[in-house]
This record gives sequence, C-alpha cells and structure tokens, in this order.
Amino acid sequence: MEKSILRLTLNGRERADAVDGNVLLIDYIREIAGLTGTKMGCDGGECGACTVLVDGEPRLACISLAASAEGHDVETIESLAEGTRLSALQKSFHQKLGSQCGFCTPGMIMASEGLLRKNPDPSVEEIRTGLSGNICRCTGYVKIIESVQDAAERKAEGDAA
Amino acid sequence: MSADRPAIARPAGKNALIGERTPLIDGAEKVSGVAKYPADLDATGALVGRIYRSPYGHAEIINLDVEAARKIPGVVAIVTGDDCDVTYGILPVAQNEYPLARGKVRYRGEPVAAVAAIDEATAEAALRAIVMEVNELPIYDRSEDSRAPGAALLHDDKPDNLERSVHTEFGDVATEFANADIVREAVHDCAEVTQMHMDPHAGIAEYDVERHRLLLQSATQVPYYVHLMVAQCMKMDKSSIRVIKPFIGGGFGARTETLNYELVLCLLARAAKGKVRIKLSREETFFTHRGRPRTKINMKIGMKKDGRFTACECTVEQSGGGYGGYGIVTILYAGALLNAIYDIPAVKYDGYRVYTNTPPCGAMRGHGTVDVRHAFETLLDKMAEELGIDALELRRRNFLQTPTTTINGIKVTSYGFPDCIDWAEEASGWKKRHGQLPYGKGLGIACSHYVSGAAKPVHWTGEPHATVNLKLDYDAGVTVLTGAADIGQGSSTILAQVVGEVLGLGLNRITVIANDSRITPKDNGSYSSRVTFMVGNAALEAAQNLQKLLIEAAARKMEAKPEDIECLGEIYRVAAKQGVEMSYEDVVREALVDTGTITVKGNFTVPREYQGGKFHGAAVGPSMAYSYAALAVEVDVDEITGRVNIENIWVAHDCGYALNPLAVEGQIQGAVWMGLGQAVSEENRYFKGLLVGPNVLDYRVPTIKDSPHIEVKIVESNDPNGPFGAKEASEGALAAVLPAVANAVYDAIGIRVDDMPLTPERIVDAMVKHERDTKAQRQAAQ
Amino acid sequence: MEYMPPFEVLKPSTIDEAVALHGQTPEARFLAGGTDIIPNIRRGIVAPGALIELSGIAEMQEITQTEDGGLNIGAGVTLAQLETDPRIAAAYPAIAKAASEVAANSHRNVGTLGGNLCLDTRCVYYNQSEWWRSSNDYCLKHRGEICHVAPKSKRCFAAFSGDVAPTLMIMDATVDLAGPNGRRTIALPDLYQADGAAHLLIGKDEILTAVTLPPNDGWATGYAKVRVRVSIDFPLAGIAIALKRDGEKLKAIKIAVTGLDSQPITLAGADALANHPFDDALLQSLEGLLPKQIQPMTSTLTPPGYRRRVSGNLIKALAKELFATAG
Repeated sequence: MEKSILRLTLNGRERADAVDGNVLLIDYIREIAGLTGTKMGCDGGECGACTVLVDGEPRLACISLAASAEGHDVETIESLAEGTRLSALQKSFHQKLGSQCGFCTPGMIMASEGLLRKNPDPSVEEIRTGLSGNICRCTGYVKIIESVQDAAERKAEGDAA
Repeated sequence: MSADRPAIARPAGKNALIGERTPLIDGAEKVSGVAKYPADLDATGALVGRIYRSPYGHAEIINLDVEAARKIPGVVAIVTGDDCDVTYGILPVAQNEYPLARGKVRYRGEPVAAVAAIDEATAEAALRAIVMEVNELPIYDRSEDSRAPGAALLHDDKPDNLERSVHTEFGDVATEFANADIVREAVHDCAEVTQMHMDPHAGIAEYDVERHRLLLQSATQVPYYVHLMVAQCMKMDKSSIRVIKPFIGGGFGARTETLNYELVLCLLARAAKGKVRIKLSREETFFTHRGRPRTKINMKIGMKKDGRFTACECTVEQSGGGYGGYGIVTILYAGALLNAIYDIPAVKYDGYRVYTNTPPCGAMRGHGTVDVRHAFETLLDKMAEELGIDALELRRRNFLQTPTTTINGIKVTSYGFPDCIDWAEEASGWKKRHGQLPYGKGLGIACSHYVSGAAKPVHWTGEPHATVNLKLDYDAGVTVLTGAADIGQGSSTILAQVVGEVLGLGLNRITVIANDSRITPKDNGSYSSRVTFMVGNAALEAAQNLQKLLIEAAARKMEAKPEDIECLGEIYRVAAKQGVEMSYEDVVREALVDTGTITVKGNFTVPREYQGGKFHGAAVGPSMAYSYAALAVEVDVDEITGRVNIENIWVAHDCGYALNPLAVEGQIQGAVWMGLGQAVSEENRYFKGLLVGPNVLDYRVPTIKDSPHIEVKIVESNDPNGPFGAKEASEGALAAVLPAVANAVYDAIGIRVDDMPLTPERIVDAMVKHERDTKAQRQAAQ
Repeated sequence: MEYMPPFEVLKPSTIDEAVALHGQTPEARFLAGGTDIIPNIRRGIVAPGALIELSGIAEMQEITQTEDGGLNIGAGVTLAQLETDPRIAAAYPAIAKAASEVAANSHRNVGTLGGNLCLDTRCVYYNQSEWWRSSNDYCLKHRGEICHVAPKSKRCFAAFSGDVAPTLMIMDATVDLAGPNGRRTIALPDLYQADGAAHLLIGKDEILTAVTLPPNDGWATGYAKVRVRVSIDFPLAGIAIALKRDGEKLKAIKIAVTGLDSQPITLAGADALANHPFDDALLQSLEGLLPKQIQPMTSTLTPPGYRRRVSGNLIKALAKELFATAG
C-alpha cells in the first residue's frame, strides 16, 4: 500500500510525513514525530491518557487516525511549556500535586487545557465533566480538581506563561 | 501548617524542609511530558517483542511448534520454556513459576513462547504461526472448585491445591468466647480486584553478546528483586546485569515482584543478540496483574455487653491463581493484622491460600488486610447496633493501651488512633447525622491500620534493611544515591527533604539519583509502605554522618570544638563567638582538603525485638510502626438503580509525622479512592478461567464523576522510631473504605450487604430479597 | 506502533463522491468519529481494507430547520453539538440529554449522530481482542459457531448500546440514506432488526446521511440511563419517554428503550394507555409493556435480570417525572 503524505500542524509547526493510512494518531505523534509525552494507557478509547488537542478540542489520539488529522492543528503536552518554563496548568499540576506517577498527567492537562480555553472559570462540576474521560489511578482526582482551579486563577491573574 | 503540629527542633535561620508542603522533585518532568516511562525510552534499533499466551486454562503441553513462526522473514528470535528451566518467584521457598510455561499451563494468558521481530506486523504473524497441542485438564476459577475432593492438582506437590494453610491461635479462644455475652458471625465474599496502574507494562532489554552483559529497563517497584531473578533465570552473574527503573506509571503492588514479561524480555534479548522492546497491551497487563485475590471470610466475634471484645475467630480462603507469587505472605497478613488495632484477648485464625486456574494474585495495596478488615468492621457495626452502643464508642472501649506487645508478638508504640476517631466523628457530623438521614442517604464509619515496612525482609541476608549513600563534591552539591523506587508516591522527594533538613540546605543543592543498579545502593524496593520509614531513616543517618564531617571541617577551620559549631545550612558558625562564621561552600572546600570527594553512607536495620515472635509465620505482620485511620463515608443509594453514589469522605490518618503534608494528603486520597473503587465497582470476573473484562471499560475504575471530595486530616503521633516521627501514610486508610461504605449503605437503606463490591445489581438484589423476606415475615406473623 | 491491519483512508467531500468511492472499494467501511470502529479495528474485529471518512462532507455537518418546523440533523453532527444546540435543547431535551450521557466529553467531541445510530452491537464475548476471542472459539457474531450468552440460539444477542436512538424514536424520526441506488428515507425503527450479528438494515454501501425530526407538538420528553459509572459507560439500559398530559390523565405516551436487545425498541401497546388516569395502575401497565418486548442477555457483566427490573422501575419513575412537569 502506498504511503501518502500527511500534512498537518503539530505543536505550531507544519509537518509533512509519509504515513500509512492505518497509522493511529498516537503512533504518529510518538513514533514518527518522536513526542513521547502523549501516553497509551488502554487498548482503545477507555482511559484518556492519550488526550491531545485537535483544533483546540480534546481528542483521543489512540482511537484517531493520523490521516484524520490531515490539515488540522494538533497540540500535545510538549506544546504547552515555553522551553522549560511551565504553563499555568503545568505549574498548578506540579505544585498542587495533581500529578503523582505522572502517566495520566499529559492527557489530564491537555483535557484541562481544552476546557480552560473555552471556559476560563469552570465550576467543580464543569471540571468533572471536562475531565470525565480521563482516568487517574493515583490521586482520587481531588488534587487534580484543585490543580485546574489553581490554574484558572493563575491564568486570570495573568500568569499564562 | 496547623499550629498544633509537633515541632521539629531547628535553630532560627535554618532552612526548613521537613514538614513543608513540597511539590515532587521530579514533578516538572511529569507535567511537561518529558518524563520517560519504559514505553517512551529510545527504541532505535530495538526489535519488537511479543508474547504467545496460552488460550487454555489448565492443560498439559504435548507439543509446541514454533518452527513455522521461526521461518517467517523478519523473525529474529523465538524463545520457549525450553530456554529457561529455572523457576522464579518472590519467597525463596515458593518459587514455582517459569518465565515461559514448561510442560503445563495453569491459566489462560500464561506466557508460553515469545518472539522478537523487526516490526509489529511480523511479530503478529509469528504469534499466529505458533501451534500448541495440549491435553486439557479441568479449569477451576474458584477455590471452592479447586479444593473440592478429587480435583486435578495444579502443582503435583500441593495436595488439595492448597498453597499454604495457616492456623494460629493466640489467647484462650474457647474460654474467651464462653465469656462473651454475644457472639456473632458473618460470611463475606470479596471479589478479586486489580491494580490497574495507568501504564501498561513495558520494558527494554539489551544484551551485549561480546561482553555478555545485559541491561534491563523496566517499570518495577523492586529493581533489586528483578535483578536477582533475571540473574537466576538467565544463569548469569549478577554483576553482568544492570537494571534501571525509569519513570513508572504507578504500581500499587502489581510490580512488587518480578513479572514474567521482564524475564521473557531478557531471554528474548539474549536470543536475539541485541535490543528488544516489549509493550504489553492493557489486556495483557490485566493477565499479569498480581492483584488482590477473591477472598471468602468467615468472621466471628465475641463481645461483652459493654462492647468489649473477648475473642475473634476468622477463617479466610483466597483464590490465589495459578502460581505462588506473594500468596503465602498475603494469607499470613490476612491473619496477623487482625491484631494491633484493637485490644482483643484471644484471636484464632485459619487461612487457606488456594491455587486456581486464574492469573496469579499478588501484593495489592493494603496487602492481605483489606477484605478481612471489611469483615471485621462491618460485623463490629452490627454488634454495636445490637448492643445499643455507638459504634465509635464501642471502638474506644477497645483501644490498645500503648506501648504494648500484642498477643501475636507485634509491638505497637505510637498510636494516634483515638485522635483519628475523634476527628472523623466530628468532621462527618456523626453524632447528629448517623441514623438520622432520610431514606437513601447514609453515613458509615470504619477504621483500619497498616504496617510501616515489613520488619523481616523477604531475603534474609544479614544486610541492613536500607542503605543510602551521599556524595558531596567540589560543587557543594549533595547527591543522594538510593535504590528505593519512586513509583509516583514521592519517595525521592522525601529523601531529598530528609537530607536537606539535616544539612539545612535547600532542594537546589540536592539531587537524587535512584534505581540504577550500577550506581545506586541496593534497596529491597517500594512495598509494604517501607520506604519513608526505612530508607528515610537510612537517609537521616547518612545526612547526619555527612553533617558530622562538615562540622568537623568547620571546627578545624574556625579553630573551635565541633560541639560548638552551629549549622544553619548555608552558614556554619561558632555558637559562642559572634561574627565567627563560614559559608557552606567554604566548609565544603575545607572538608574536601586531603580527602577529595566525600562519600558517606547511612543504614537502617529494624531491631530484632520488632521482628516478631517465634511461631511459624511470625515473620509477616511485624513492623516497627503502625499507621491508623478512621474514615467516614456519606452515600446516596439510588432506590431504583441501586447505584451507590459516594458523596463525601472524611479520613483521619495517623502517619506519625507528615514529612511532606502535600504528598501525605495525596497518598491518603489516592489510597482511599482506590478502596472506593473496590467498594462500589471494581471486580475481576472469569468465564472458564478467562478474565472477562480485561479492559478499562469493563473493569470499572471510578471516573472523576464518580469520585467525591476526600477531606484528609493528618494526625501526628510522633513515632519514636520513624524518621522525624514519620510512619506509613497511604495504605493504612484503604481498608476502612469498604466497611465504611457498607455501613453507610446500611444506614441509608437498612439493608446489610456483606459481599463486595456493592455494585448496583448487588444492591438491587439485596433490596428485592429484603422486600421478599419482610413480606414473608409479615405473613408469618399474621 | 500498535498493530493495525493495512487500510487506506479515502476522503470524499460530497455524499455522492462517498457512495462512488465505496463502489470502487467494496470492502471499505465508512468512518465518522471513529470512537466505535477504531477500537474494533484495534481489537481485530474489523479489518476494513479502506475507510471512507465522512467528516469532510459539509452537507452532513449541518442542523437545519425543516419547512414544517422540525429539524434536519446531518449524520456528521457531533454528539457534543447535539448536547449543546439550543434548538435541540428547547424542543427535544431528551435527545440532548441522551447525547450528553454518551461516553465522555472527548468521545462526544468526535462521535457523531450517525455513528451513534449505527453503533455496532456490543457483547462481552465480542468486544475483546483477537487473542481473547480465539481463545474462546470466537462467537456467533464474528467467526464463531455459537452465541456464548445463548448457546442454543441461532441468533446473536449482542446488545445495541447507542443512547440517542430511542430519544429519536419517541419523536418519530426518519433517517435519510444514500447508496448506489440513490437516496431513500425510512422510519428510524426500520433501520434495525433483532439480530445482534446483523442489526442494521442498511446496505454496507449505504450511508446514513441525516435524521429528520418532526416538530415537537407538545410532547414532554426525557431520557434515563442505567450505568455503573457516571461517565464513560455504555447504557446497561436506556429509557426514552415522550408523553402528553391532559389534566390528571395521560393523554398519550411513547416509550423506546436501548441496551436491552440487539436493537432499540419502541414499546408497542403504549398507545392503548392513552387517556387513562395517571395512577399506579397505569404505571404498572406501562412497566408491563416491557418484559415481553425485550430480550436482555448476559452480553454485559451486569446480569440481564437486573437490567430488566431496573428498566421497568425507571419507566415508571421517568413517566412520573415527565407527567409532573408536563403542561
């Protein structure tokens, strides 16, 4: 089968890669683009660890095809920090211990990022809905909710990094 | 920080690290996506490793034909049971598992062969070309079936498929039951649950044929045990093997022993003469689970009218899976920790660890104690009601008088349990709300405890329980070298805090290097909540040793006596002489004169008197300190669907002293929540030995929408032996969740449901039965 | 890389083009949000040869008012749009509710109306890996000889698990189909049959392009879902009800259910209960419609007896709730 050229924007950079049609978006991101921040936690769409943003919306990269991202804007956890300066959400997840083992964290933060862009001041219930597809096995979610609230405050105060 | 915390003594001006809310020192890597878990490691040039798993639950292998697979272009190596004739396992006396099955398979999903190929598609094709012929044997999902008379034996040397039976009696049980005013019994059946750590198992191994060396990078809680087992199974010198633990997506006990895929990976790397990566699917990770076994409990308690315990008799039967694993330890824990929380004059325990044709269980969080504690605390609740005594008051009447040694030889020193109960009672509004909420809403309380590290190590080598090395060099930075595995719980952060606290340095001066067998000192691993207590104490001693050298150097330079030197961290001064002081960097410079780079060590060993009694099985249960927890749960039970919604949880946990209150809260919340999953929705089910829901959809880990706020109260009893008074801070509260939820459900709907989990169908079944029984009683009365 | 069977992705921009592409690649499957088919590909249940992606077809992404005041909803409209569209929320709240209860938000962002209606049926013996299913001698739905939940049955009992369908059925929705033989419109119930292995009565070469809803002339509607977890889970049962009230009487009622059989089912016999006083006897009659019309089996880890019982009770509860709020 012929590979076709996949063109998309990944973390702000335009790319063109020869990719087979059957390649999952997560494999494109991890194995072809080499960005391993996006995690595979299940056998398909059940845990949220692979959450990335496509055109600003949370999307599960493990049940998306790379081909479907053609022409779209894909953002992964690596896009948030400015060099090593953490974004507001990253700072909050770090300082409020929204991340323990850290494996769900990239997906959790990207889902939160998608939420905060639409809704900069979410209620606890809105945070729960925004993260309802993301499983965490360490925190019991309590400090994740606190982290998102903290980031919303940080952003409101202009610490948007 | 709350004002009533016990203070850490430190001179004014000295940097404070212990007791401060400290974000994890490796947190920035995690939130930025930089952290490398095994599946993220550089796999350039690595072959794809895949495992061929038995589709049969119990069978003799007649023939295994891998020749067709071997001939597929791109298949580089295939290994089978013929490639390793050495068993592995955790306890030296109970190692009965081969990395790849030999002669017999005992559960569906058991590894039988493995391939290394140039890519996924080739590996997949190779697996499909493998043919196994077998003679099928009966499959036993449940201990009742495998223990039944005439059942086929899983292991020829284990009659009745009993891995181990335990029989202990402390105190005069018969007399104490006779002394009781009421004696009550209950039977519980708690389903098997699994850790479901977030990262599916993965690893990379590289075998260097020229130098006969092996590098394994794997997500394990116990790199040292893995190292030993790899050497044993590969028949290699331990010194030829290097084990590195990268970031790990949680453990919760799943990775507390060497797992088959780690050994298979190493065998493949050697056979392929190079680098191989294995990434298990989520389904395969379920088959490799080492979770909490299905446990049946018969609990019997005797009580005086005033609520004082007289005796307890408990029988436990666990469906442990096809191999030994941690089974013996699990069945011993289940009995040992009937003690050390309440004062019970006599305790009899009969435990049966049974082989079944299911994936082997292991040491899941709260190892051995959780289901038994559920049985005890729910029966306690029933008896309190029957006697008309408030359930918390009843517990208070049975407090241990500490310090004490329990009837089974366990020493309890610090005991903040009473404070835990007081807080949970107050915070949950227990007095006003329990028994007073409208139908469907309920409040329940239960309590639990856990060890701070097993006092007896798995391998008795005579070495200390923990060792930490510190390196101080010309750059004035302190490098902490530890073999303790940070699995997300924040152990590396704790060690940095301990060392920094003693030396008065900020975290900027401290680097922790963990888990590289070439560099870091051996550590037994992260399990039984041992790291903070044991490795923390070793780090404390190491830091004190380094401090001594620095003070001596400062004294030398400032021409004072060492005992007159005061360390403020960045400043060393002569206490009596104002203005005579040196900067830390100058002290380091002085300390390095003539010696060069300084390396110091700290050790920790649990003194013999804390290592338990002399009876058979006494090694499991003793610890140098015990944590305590009291936990209240508020539930809302849906009358129609039977769904138990958890609305609130309040938990007070005596962790001795919170070295890092932020991490302590996180650990307690996480453990409590994991118990919540077991209480309401998590369950492994088997169909003819085949795990039916090996995925994150059917294995129902609570989502964020199912999870309540969990309010944590840290109780600090200042343990005399813990580092800065610290002890266990997570597992202790887990076991209380199950009975608290069950007690709350009773408060909500007036029905006792003794089995676990309290899934909607179990609740609805109980409501239907209750209605039927009530009707029958009414008719009988008429 | 995850092992995936080889296939190519084709990207038509019109419905006609999509139909034509399928004509050239008959083994192709249509791809909408992918939240159902991609996991199935990963599990080896589907090996499509080619996927024809429908998300680039603009005419399938719109919600438009029909001449009679109803709505025409493109099959490519996402569940998230259904959940939030003010026109749907105002006139068809049950649809918005059902959409909001599908999986989790990240699924709803891509999952589509058409995908939810054409969702493959589900069973614990089916939604498993290739290894798992082969270890269990496969099943009637895929490659096997027997149905593990009903070994003597000739039919597959995998359950239809879409949330949205029953909420459309109570509104008498129709669906538009496009295929090599042109376009056709059928009543939504005619899309399905009671066979878990072949529950869709739509050609493999046909595309479900849109759903048409007649105007809501006074129905109070609601949807109730039975699930263990509040998020992610498929329905163990889903109940949709539309009712009208006339004083203390029930003027009319329509009930449709999902998750309880291989197809969503509109309960027959509800019209006979029109113009009855809304009392306990009526509620019993409503519940009584259910048992003979559904066949839940052990296709889920939650036993069918539970799903039956709870569904009956939910019908009563939801009817009561809607009656109380109905004008």
